[in-house]
Amino acid sequence: MDAVEKANADRQKRWAKDQKIGEGTYAVVYRGRELATGRKVAIKKIKVGQFKDGLDMSAIREVKYLRELKHQNVIELLDVFSSKKNLNLVLEFLDTDLELVIRDRSLVFLPADIKSWMAMTFRGLEFCHRNFILHRDLKPNNLLIAANGHLKLADFGLARDFADPGYKMTCQVITRWYRPPELLFGCRYYSTAVDIWSVGCIFAELMLRIPYLPGESDMDQLKTIFRALGTPTEEDWPGHTKLPDYVPVGQFQKTPFRDLFSAASPECLNLLSKCLIYEPRRRISAREALYHPYFTSHPHPTHPSKLPKPADKTSATLPLEELDGNAEPNGNGPGVKANPPNKLKRKLSSDELSGGGRSIARKLDFTQQRQTVQ
Amino acid sequence: MSTSLYPLASLPQIEKTPSREDGIPGDLEEDLRAYGCKLIHEAGILLKQKQVAVATAQILFQRFWFATSMKQFGIGDIGMGALYLASKLEECPVRIRDLVNVYDLLLQRKAHIRAQAVASSLASTSSSTPSWSELKYTPMSYFGNTFYDLKEAVVVAEMQILKRLGFNLTVVLPYNTLVNYLRVLGLTSREDVCTKAWGYLNDAPSVEARLQTPVYALYSVPTIVCAAILLTTRHLGIALPSAPENCWWELFDAEWEDLSSVCGWIMRLYRERSLEDHTRVMGMVAKKGVRQWLEEHRSVGGEVR
Repeated sequence: MDAVEKANADRQKRWAKDQKIGEGTYAVVYRGRELATGRKVAIKKIKVGQFKDGLDMSAIREVKYLRELKHQNVIELLDVFSSKKNLNLVLEFLDTDLELVIRDRSLVFLPADIKSWMAMTFRGLEFCHRNFILHRDLKPNNLLIAANGHLKLADFGLARDFADPGYKMTCQVITRWYRPPELLFGCRYYSTAVDIWSVGCIFAELMLRIPYLPGESDMDQLKTIFRALGTPTEEDWPGHTKLPDYVPVGQFQKTPFRDLFSAASPECLNLLSKCLIYEPRRRISAREALYHPYFTSHPHPTHPSKLPKPADKTSATLPLEELDGNAEPNGNGPGVKANPPNKLKRKLSSDELSGGGRSIARKLDFTQQRQTVQ
Repeated sequence: MSTSLYPLASLPQIEKTPSREDGIPGDLEEDLRAYGCKLIHEAGILLKQKQVAVATAQILFQRFWFATSMKQFGIGDIGMGALYLASKLEECPVRIRDLVNVYDLLLQRKAHIRAQAVASSLASTSSSTPSWSELKYTPMSYFGNTFYDLKEAVVVAEMQILKRLGFNLTVVLPYNTLVNYLRVLGLTSREDVCTKAWGYLNDAPSVEARLQTPVYALYSVPTIVCAAILLTTRHLGIALPSAPENCWWELFDAEWEDLSSVCGWIMRLYRERSLEDHTRVMGMVAKKGVRQWLEEHRSVGGEVR
């Protein structure tokens, strides 16, 4: 065994892999823990057997960018190791995601709560943009929420660094409902403004509690956007008719934000409208957004620990973990357990299947529900 | 490694690389590294790949040999893997089939040249420079085993690079830094300076370049860029403040010892190499060749020096 193999083995020994919690096209996600501290982690095992052309681009992007990014509002990649022929990413374990929070009807959001989530989202995004990285797949279920309430950007499988000016990028990114109009029109040169549009959609969704612009197809998406925000004129968005995939989709009147978001403060609507400006160059940047009066006006953002979160989920998982620990105090070596070890776990996974309480870790497995790749 | 984003080799790693540990002499390792990089470079040109991806591949390749011995992996396979991985990292992926075909062509050419060289040295008719113009290239069959074997080799190499570099894929290229430093030094108006310094960093097809040396795995980018400027200005006879207390490179946090060492690495690339050295290296693109060489030298000399 040479030094590399040894270092790898040492790293592998730091983590214990427990039960499987999700599976996607290119990875299987396990719940695990750090042996020394008992800290919960998620271990994402990249499937190697399915390699057609080497490692998947998303896996490579994720490793590349998460290795560099360390920020309170970005998911942390704790370690990477390989076992036999597999690649394993050790990520911090997060309890839930913003989509589950939004969908949980029993929760009531105060304006201060929404402000807190938005502030954390913008902070994480500003950090990515400051480091020249585009996320390109922002949506509520990629915004994970830690036990202490902190929101973290996750899924860097579509992320990339800014291209050199004049270098074409793909426009087939970002889940449709959160995709900005310039990408729908086939724009191949774009920048941070695409992520801001997604954040704008998430912002609106936090207030409405349903997706703001749910288009059924790419074409319908444009129609949905124009119905909500009005068909852009040449003045609103100079040059948009010249974009590669431009098609006229009809004339629609803008619905005033005030009608839809009746309870929102003026600063709130001002920030929202600046995120959803048609002309990408005029759209607000993450940095400017953080200085927007919305964040400094009353009410102040809720402290992360006091944010609403789905209650049943945590109470259901807690005893499970205790039982896990007690039943097999030191039985969990690095090896994976082959069988579902106890009833409770099976119950958990059947919960996942029933759709009501979808597993959190499936959120870590980012490829599954992506609608972008068609 | 603590302050910079990109990893550099540690002193013990430099003093005794895994290949040297296995008995491969330092100069042979250096030649093999340079040759592997040259192959990556040529493949990059044939694939019309972006220079950033090619440079990234070469830097990953250089780093790899500080973690692994050439007895264990061939420079050909790892070169392919590095280029394949770097292309993905730089968002300009290449088709694995194109890569395999290009490498196959390059290696057939090299084998041809080598055979010619050996033949001409046997016949002792010197001065006919070997060329690949007479080579009849036979492409591999579309579904043949050659293709699948090579493809498998690329995939394995890609994974090994990732694993052995500890998944640290950050590569910082020196070009921006060079432009900035030249600006600071007020040298941008001299086109010859820019071209020459860029050439030292970059790969001019005719010149065996800098990316073929391991300096990117040894020194920080500012140091390497300073060395390129130092070589350039000394060549062109441009005076810059170089007396103690007023040394221009100190402006960029570079140390004189490091600069001269980097310059030494580069200039060593330009040294005259015998035909024998060339053919020796060409025969060791795969690890089989390296192992065979080690075998032969062990049996002759007992201890390889």
